[in-house]
Amino acid sequence: MPTDPKTAVEVREVTKVFGSGEARVQALAGVSLAVARGEFVAVMGPSGSGKSTLLHLIGALDVPTSGSVRVGDDDLGALNDDRLTLLRRRRIGFVFQAFNLLDVLTAEENVALPLELEGRADARAGAAEALALVGLSQRRAHLPGQLSGGEQQRVAIARALVMNPLLLLADEPTGNLDSSHGDQVMALLRGLADERGQTIVMVTHNAAHAALADRLVRLRDGLVVEQLSLTRAGEPREECGE
Amino acid sequence: MACEEELVPASPLNFGQVYTTLERLQRDGLVGHEVVNQAERPDKKVYALSAEGRRQLHEWLATPSPPETDPRHETALKLMLARRLAGADPLKVVAAERRAGFERLREASQARARARKEKTPLATVLFLDLAVLQLEAFLKWLDHCEELLRKES
Repeated sequence: MPTDPKTAVEVREVTKVFGSGEARVQALAGVSLAVARGEFVAVMGPSGSGKSTLLHLIGALDVPTSGSVRVGDDDLGALNDDRLTLLRRRRIGFVFQAFNLLDVLTAEENVALPLELEGRADARAGAAEALALVGLSQRRAHLPGQLSGGEQQRVAIARALVMNPLLLLADEPTGNLDSSHGDQVMALLRGLADERGQTIVMVTHNAAHAALADRLVRLRDGLVVEQLSLTRAGEPREECGE
Repeated sequence: MACEEELVPASPLNFGQVYTTLERLQRDGLVGHEVVNQAERPDKKVYALSAEGRRQLHEWLATPSPPETDPRHETALKLMLARRLAGADPLKVVAAERRAGFERLREASQARARARKEKTPLATVLFLDLAVLQLEAFLKWLDHCEELLRKES
């Protein structure tokens, strides 16, 4: 099926069941969601609502029980493991709550890793460029332990962007940060969407941070219960109902 | 006005109100003024606190502010009535309030982000933080209301 080139992600009627019998848990009960290229979507919902599961399915970190997930032109269900690995490496950038940087590598070495996995000779130059993008050129020779939490998360964002991915997935990116560093990370994400047209899907508990996205998707019991289009300054108001 | 730049940008001072307030404070003996001659411009009045004004100001600072939680909070009233009124749905009230709350939170959150970037005076940042935190609390309360209303229905 040809996909709309303006669509970055299309999730259709997706369900996800973990375990079986008494231990059966339905994490997603039929979720459909499209994310346009350049759109910044925040996903909120109580614990156990399925938001992290949804992010993992979009990021090809797990497979749905039923339904389909498309990222760009690729139907994830039609890809073999090798192709999925390449998609995760080249087309999707991941940012996690816990930063997940390697402690023994400098900021620049951490950011260069995805390029080195590809055997790229320009890995260091690419890493330096990505660090400049997140405003951390001055910290490139520092180890993660020598950086603040906010700086570590910005390094993780640089690493997620170094392959110039179609899609940036962020799972509670400000969850481990104090409010001032959390705001800095949000300003960076907002800027990436505004200035580079970066498509972002972010799971968060923080309402003030979710409010900075273009659209808010609320999950409850594995279903999308509400979507709010949040108005951007200077833009006409539009509504997007349930 | 010395404090103006520290006040929330969205609520500029009404100068007419400032002068009527100063006159009232002067009438009550809390401020006094002296006239300063200026070479190129009309003379100006410089106001200053009187000793009694300063005493009352310190007393006010030391007195806890009254609580802002109104037991007749409008949203709470709407929820109460929507539960009893035939054809009304309290969950729809929650949804409409949440939508408006997120739009206000977006504005407050953007204003705070701009303030952090522009090295705005601390007092302004504190005002903006208060606005963000109050809206977050309101949205949390709406989630809580929704949960209890769903259990009830």
